[in-house]
Amino acid sequence: MLSLEQVSVTFNAGTPNEVRALRDISLSVAEGEFITVIGSNGAGKSTLFNVISGAAEPGSGRIRLDGKDITYWAEHRRSHDIGRVFQDPRLGTCPGLTIRENLSLAAIHGRSAGFRRDVKQAQESWFYQQLERQHLGLEHRLDADVALLSGGQRQAITLVMATLTKPKLLLLDEHTAALDPNAAEQVISLTQELAEANDLCVVMITHSMQQACDLGDRVIMMNRGKIEFEIAGAERQNLKPADLIDRFHSLQDGTELSDAQLLA
Amino acid sequence: MTATASAANQPQASSFGANRSFILRGILLVIIVAGFMSFGNVNIGAIGQGLGYALAGVTVFMTFRVLGFVDLTVDGAFPIGGAACAILIVNGHSPEYAMLMGFVAGALTGLATALIDIIFKIEGLLASIIVITGAYTVTLHVMDGKSNIPLLGQETLISRHSKTFRTWLVEQFGDQMRRQSTNLLEIILFGCIVLIVLGILYWFLRTEIGLAIRATGKNPQMVRATGLNHNLMIIIGLMVANGLAGIAGSLVVQQFGFADVSLGFGLIVRGLAAVIIGEVLLRPRTVGQLLIAAVSGMLVFDISRAWIFSALDLPTTDIQFVSALVVLAALGAPRLFDRWKAYQRRLGG
Repeated sequence: MLSLEQVSVTFNAGTPNEVRALRDISLSVAEGEFITVIGSNGAGKSTLFNVISGAAEPGSGRIRLDGKDITYWAEHRRSHDIGRVFQDPRLGTCPGLTIRENLSLAAIHGRSAGFRRDVKQAQESWFYQQLERQHLGLEHRLDADVALLSGGQRQAITLVMATLTKPKLLLLDEHTAALDPNAAEQVISLTQELAEANDLCVVMITHSMQQACDLGDRVIMMNRGKIEFEIAGAERQNLKPADLIDRFHSLQDGTELSDAQLLA
Repeated sequence: MTATASAANQPQASSFGANRSFILRGILLVIIVAGFMSFGNVNIGAIGQGLGYALAGVTVFMTFRVLGFVDLTVDGAFPIGGAACAILIVNGHSPEYAMLMGFVAGALTGLATALIDIIFKIEGLLASIIVITGAYTVTLHVMDGKSNIPLLGQETLISRHSKTFRTWLVEQFGDQMRRQSTNLLEIILFGCIVLIVLGILYWFLRTEIGLAIRATGKNPQMVRATGLNHNLMIIIGLMVANGLAGIAGSLVVQQFGFADVSLGFGLIVRGLAAVIIGEVLLRPRTVGQLLIAAVSGMLVFDISRAWIFSALDLPTTDIQFVSALVVLAALGAPRLFDRWKAYQRRLGG
């Protein structure tokens, strides 16, 4: 499905500020797999997502999606296959536009924008159903300005919009970190529902060890631009947050803090 | 931004309520302005002039507010549009065709700014200064190397109807209307054109492309995530916006009866003032309201400038200084008011 082959990203190469954000990362994600990614600040998690989504270009290495080499594709070109939700709820929806208008934008996916105004009936009713199931009361406010909604509501809308046109891969970048516990729980359950219903491939960055253990089939721990360890299979089934935290600490103690980590 | 941001923070009203308070503010504004005009003895020509420039105010609204792009191109697109319109009229083309080409000329100017911004990664402010500088020469070339083209005796939108309109007016309302007939005709013709253009723009901004252009200014990340090329949206947005400045230039050229290479001087400041005056006075929220506010702002600007002129009995040489003062008042007054409120609060607390 998605494969990264020895991908490296270096910022400010050749200067004293050189940061090697990704070091020869290789990773493959299978069809329908749900992966959680953990790691300290500056470990390279977001850079990994930027490289996959096309917001950053790798210095070396290859990225393939469904067999196609997408390493140098522009961000907007791969967005048809890759949906992304950010930590900041403001990034996923557009203020000044109503919920319905945001939906119209999301529905354009994969074709060029035209002069039509309305979303296809099927898409709108699907969107409506998804919102209705969240009990956020949003389904009656389709003509409200998105700027008036809370972070949790905006994040829920972003998620539904990101899956509206059935992407192959969904990248979730700490998408519940800015929400209160209640809203976070709601968004997580929506994430699970959408992933299962659409048989999506999901990669999720999280700082919550609980989430890393509860969700998905595989845990990846990143540190200093590398994949430090992976936990899958039987070991993953019995994984508890405490185990993860222990392994996290042993890693931190065993290595000197790099300049990059201190500055981050 | 202050006006729209504070509007977003207010508790949500039903769309009917929002429209009603906007309409009420609009009616109040019309009454106040009308009062000022009759009380201050302002010639109604100021309205016609405001309508001529109104679409340039919409240009600034489109670039600064919708696209979030600091664009000064309007200073170049306006005279190019006017020059193209004038040269075509002089060469015997119809005023409608000439205005359409005015739009095209303005749009091409906007395209130049967009391409410089995208290809060379030069930010909008600098890119548009480069374009304005070059546009001066282009305008001169469009006008066959002359810095001024008179339209005396040519068939313009106004001169075409002026005779029949004057006769009709004098027949209906008596001889005292004779002096105002050109001014009234301008208000009617330009009012219709501005309304038609606003209508088209309102429709356009609510289509998929329009939504994408609006999102480009607010959240370019989302536009890319939607699979749309946000550079393309900047190109389309700047072309449409500066095309409007081209139409405004065409209208003003026909109104003045000549095209001049320096017609766009200081227009960006004027457009910015129009947008801010409209936002402060009408507090618009929806797209339609924002468009109306930009046009109203330009009208208020021209009328208040004319009022200052007649009240202080100034010579026309002082026109730019008075413009600068009106712009300063429009930009400065809301901020001064906020500071004064903060000062009062401190005294109270």
